[in-house]
Amino acid sequence: MKSLGSIRRDFAPWIDPASSPFLRFEDVTKRFGDFEAVDDLSLSIFESEFFALLGPSGCGKSTLLRMLAGFEMPTSGRIILDGEDMAGIPPYRRPVNMMFQSYALFPHMSVAKNIAFGLKQERMAKGEISDRVQQVLKLVKLEDYAKRKPDQLSGGQRQRVALARSLAKRPKVLLLDEPLGALDKKLREETQFELADLQHQLHTTFIMVTHDQEEAMTLADRIAVMDKGRILQVAPPAEIYEAPKSRFVADFVGNVNVFDGTVRSATGGRVTIETTGGFDIVAERDVGVEVGQRVSYVLRPEKLKIAAEPISGPNVMEGEVWDIAYFGPVTSFHIRLDTGAIVKVAMVNATRQSPLQLTWHDRAFVTFDEDAGLVVTQ
Amino acid sequence: MGWRLSKFNVVSMVFGFSFLYLPIVLLVVYSFNASRLVTVWSGFSTVWYRELWNNRGLLDAAWVTLRVGVLSASVATVLGTMAAIALARYKRFTGRTLMTGMVYAPLVMPEVITGLSLLLFFVAVDFDRGFWTVTLAHISFTMCFVTVVVQSRLISFDRSLEDAAMDLGATPTVTFFQITLPLIWPAVAAGWMLAFTLSLDDLVIASFTTGPGATTLPMKIYSQVRLGVTPEINAVCTILIAIVSVGVVIATLLNKRRLVRQARNERLAAEG
Repeated sequence: MKSLGSIRRDFAPWIDPASSPFLRFEDVTKRFGDFEAVDDLSLSIFESEFFALLGPSGCGKSTLLRMLAGFEMPTSGRIILDGEDMAGIPPYRRPVNMMFQSYALFPHMSVAKNIAFGLKQERMAKGEISDRVQQVLKLVKLEDYAKRKPDQLSGGQRQRVALARSLAKRPKVLLLDEPLGALDKKLREETQFELADLQHQLHTTFIMVTHDQEEAMTLADRIAVMDKGRILQVAPPAEIYEAPKSRFVADFVGNVNVFDGTVRSATGGRVTIETTGGFDIVAERDVGVEVGQRVSYVLRPEKLKIAAEPISGPNVMEGEVWDIAYFGPVTSFHIRLDTGAIVKVAMVNATRQSPLQLTWHDRAFVTFDEDAGLVVTQ
Repeated sequence: MGWRLSKFNVVSMVFGFSFLYLPIVLLVVYSFNASRLVTVWSGFSTVWYRELWNNRGLLDAAWVTLRVGVLSASVATVLGTMAAIALARYKRFTGRTLMTGMVYAPLVMPEVITGLSLLLFFVAVDFDRGFWTVTLAHISFTMCFVTVVVQSRLISFDRSLEDAAMDLGATPTVTFFQITLPLIWPAVAAGWMLAFTLSLDDLVIASFTTGPGATTLPMKIYSQVRLGVTPEINAVCTILIAIVSVGVVIATLLNKRRLVRQARNERLAAEG
């Protein structure tokens, strides 16, 4: 299959056999009573990588982050950072810093004191501390706010103070717990780019926990999709999106149509799937499947083409326009097949006036190329 | 539409406040009475305050009370805060229920029983009764009040602040003194005030546990009143009321200032 790389074209240490990971989780398990938060998980993260842990709430991603910060101890397994086993090292002696979801700014200290707090613990000289505080304040563009108290700042400014404070000690790894979660949409988009710039500038390893797939996609070099304490897939954003390994990953990241079925034939580079909806799908074969095997075909809405006139050829479905949602850049159609199944189609509005005049309850025809979707076996 | 009081409201308010404050007003007024007779007004005078200054017995009692109050409130605050932290932070440890019960029991225990049991204990261990036994007794019964006040503050405390401090390299001790304590300080101070007030005004437990040379002010007042109320007692009580009133006024002003500052900060934050 075609390779789907990372955003940074020349940065891909995970495919380079000569590079060794900076941070390793080795068979890490964490139980709280009977509940298994993290289940025998292994993961390697490389130096100056921006890594995202993505998953629904309760999938264990925050527990993983808290184990790295030292607030939780693994029930079994090892965490090795820069060659050093983290077992038994308390949070205040670890070379990692965390930016908390609630920001956790000390309300009784000014912005400058908040940032200096960590440096004071290192017994750094006074002059050096104030230089470093100035430096990070400049980094987050808050030089004029040093004397303010946290409750005199807006949400966006607080977020930047929290970021500055966690960067001030120059940690080996910066941990970000839902860093943009508390910001409104517009501010979140701006801050996303700032965060990415900052990371490229500093070359610090960033590990972010998020439940927001868009956030993970925009920021991360690689994403680990997690569910129920396990990692389902680790890959760059484009690969997660275009080549998900399982139904869960496909479904969790972005919008998707899933067709369940059985393999009828698998010859050469092609596979024919008889779907439970009664129609056949002819697809490019990129995973090993056997005849009779139960598989799913996952197909992103924007990979489908929609027409008002009948289309000939394989992979054509016919149905009724059930719903139309106009988003501006794209229009989303829900087509109800005769079997009752709904197929989602996204049409890019490349021209101002759409040549396609479809409205509610019209008959519509939907088609896709053989390599438009993906056969998944899990 | 303006807010007006109905006749019923006015009458009930007058009666209510009279019931609460008239006795106190009378006490204050009669402390400035020139006559020795408590119930006969014969002109304004500060003679009883001067008399008070020469009454060694009352002054000694006040001094004992102050020392007992400050010392017992301080120790009770330290112990009570520690208990509050244990109860608020550690949700599961052996004997937690027992500890909760034992910490809170003095809250509802009749004072006579507390006093008597402490007396029996001090006699059993052959502890000479006096200043120290009263202080110990006051520590033991005021501690739980501090615990209640501090624990309620800790429940709303954002623990990620402590996590953040440790993450930034602060040891648990540094975290406690530089982050936790400054933030729960108002509750700790309120706990101290409460403990001090309770100690100041305790008669029953002090009577049981005291010994020669350690007569507290409430005990002194009580014993003198049995021989008849003198205007000197009125003067002492007026001073006590003045101290308490000043405390309340200061607390109100501080609170008001905090609210004003909070409103200003919010405005500043909104302006960016």
